Amino acid sequence: MTRSWTGPRVAPYLFILPNMLLFGAFTIWPAINGFNISLYDSDNGRTFRYVGTENYAEIVSSAEFWRVARLTVVFVIGLVVLTTVAATALALLLNAQRRGRGALRAAYFVPFLVSPVVVGLIWNLALERQNGLVNTALQAVGLGAPGWLLDGGLAMGVIIVVGLWTQVGFYALIVLAGLQGIDRGLYEAARIDGAGTWQQLRLITLPLLRPTTLVVVILATIHAFQAFDYIYTLTGGGPLGATTLIVQFIYESSFESPIRYGLASAAGVVLFVVVFGVTALNYLVGRRQEAV
Amino acid sequence: MVLERAVPAPPTGAPPRRWTSIGEQPPAPAAVVRATVLVAGALFVLAPIVWAVLSSFKTATELAQRPPTLIPQNPTGANYVEALTAFDFGHYFLNSTLVTVLATLLTLAVNAMAAYALAKYNFRGRDTLFLVTLATIMIPLQVIFLPVYQVVTSLGLVNTLWGMIIPAAATPTGVFLLRQYMLSLPDDLIEAARIDGAGEFRIFLRIILPLCRPALAVVAIFSVIWRWNDFLWPLIIAQDESVYTLPVALARFSGQLVVPFHLVLAMSVLSIVPVVVLFLLLQRQIIAGIAQTGFK
Repeated sequence: MTRSWTGPRVAPYLFILPNMLLFGAFTIWPAINGFNISLYDSDNGRTFRYVGTENYAEIVSSAEFWRVARLTVVFVIGLVVLTTVAATALALLLNAQRRGRGALRAAYFVPFLVSPVVVGLIWNLALERQNGLVNTALQAVGLGAPGWLLDGGLAMGVIIVVGLWTQVGFYALIVLAGLQGIDRGLYEAARIDGAGTWQQLRLITLPLLRPTTLVVVILATIHAFQAFDYIYTLTGGGPLGATTLIVQFIYESSFESPIRYGLASAAGVVLFVVVFGVTALNYLVGRRQEAV
Repeated sequence: MVLERAVPAPPTGAPPRRWTSIGEQPPAPAAVVRATVLVAGALFVLAPIVWAVLSSFKTATELAQRPPTLIPQNPTGANYVEALTAFDFGHYFLNSTLVTVLATLLTLAVNAMAAYALAKYNFRGRDTLFLVTLATIMIPLQVIFLPVYQVVTSLGLVNTLWGMIIPAAATPTGVFLLRQYMLSLPDDLIEAARIDGAGEFRIFLRIILPLCRPALAVVAIFSVIWRWNDFLWPLIIAQDESVYTLPVALARFSGQLVVPFHLVLAMSVLSIVPVVVLFLLLQRQIIAGIAQTGFK
């Protein structure tokens, strides 16, 4: 038997080659190169000078970086906790609901389909102080008209809630799939033993849902660390930097004067290490709880 | 006497109500609360979108009016006409469509081939390549866009639609999802085709791809959602107005000193329509796809 270049021995390499070329050129090589760039300083993006770990030292001692990092932590924790709780609650309600479940599920999913840029634009208009949907509704029931995007604390709350709005339907679908994987017989046995709805939830549903919850927490964490687009069009990072998160910090250092490629790359490396660390921690803690 | 006892006592007060649409039993209070919460929540979630759609049919003066109106007083499609003609949004719409369609086709081709190699062949380095593929999920674009930008520059793709299409084409989630699906296909099919003398690529094209249609559909839909809505990367690549995609154009226009809100609203609504229609048409496959993989 002849082994041509299209034979089963060579074919797999040819099949995987295009994908690996793209991954190599646009993900793996840039990742390595990004670390390399973080060791250089550039004169507004022109000449490069090797500075070793100076960029990292500058980041660690920069008040601006720590401010942005602190805001990012508040945002990530707030969004991940809210998303996980809300998606679980929504999935439990949807799972129990028979009539109109498909339509309700679709309704909650629609915001996930809207471009993050448009999400930012729509909410920017909806939260407009005088004329927006939200304050008009609040005033109609006799409540005040806060400047949602003008107060730093409120604006942080707004970007968390809008983030929740865009993704809760997507995560609820994942939780729904997890719920449907739970053996129905367990509930019947529990009912015979006299367990009420609340006890069934606490003793059967939530423990058996833990692997799904872990997936939701991990994905939501990665997404939250990467959030940029809708914040960029909703608040632009303001007011006075109150919603400037680390990704925007990296974006501005890379593309807005003064351009600091090395500093931006160092911040990128730090972000990657943090995301990797948090994901690994989530995974390990989640797995340990499962083992108990 | 016995008979009398068997007949149930007539209800006192009002006769029992019948919820004919649900059945003989009146709904439990908990079910009513649940349905109310779900419907009210859905209305809250959809309210900003519905409001934006309604507002896109208002004139610029009505948009600025105080107190604001909910339903447009004189509904007009003028915003759409003006946005598409005077502001060249039709061109951005076309750019978005081109990028979305071409990138999705490329993603499907490249990911399906890689997934097939990983699922159905035993070759040196397979497990390493699979792990490398999975690990790239952990590397977000935001962290590496600067060096990616350098690569794209050196290839001469800055300021071109190809610069938006090619770099994002190889997606780890796509490879993973397709590989999982292909693992479930029987190896005998491939063996039989080989005995019949079919070449490896022919087997992939004629046997594997048609069988993978459901998984390909899910990858295609997610690719369309991502590419259509993608912002950060096109924002970096598109420096010239002629290659703006919709999200880039919308962000640029809303960043102006005097924002033409009536036009921005019309275009925002227009940008939502294709993906929502696609979702509603293919809802079943999308949900099954998410359920099958957990989108891990």
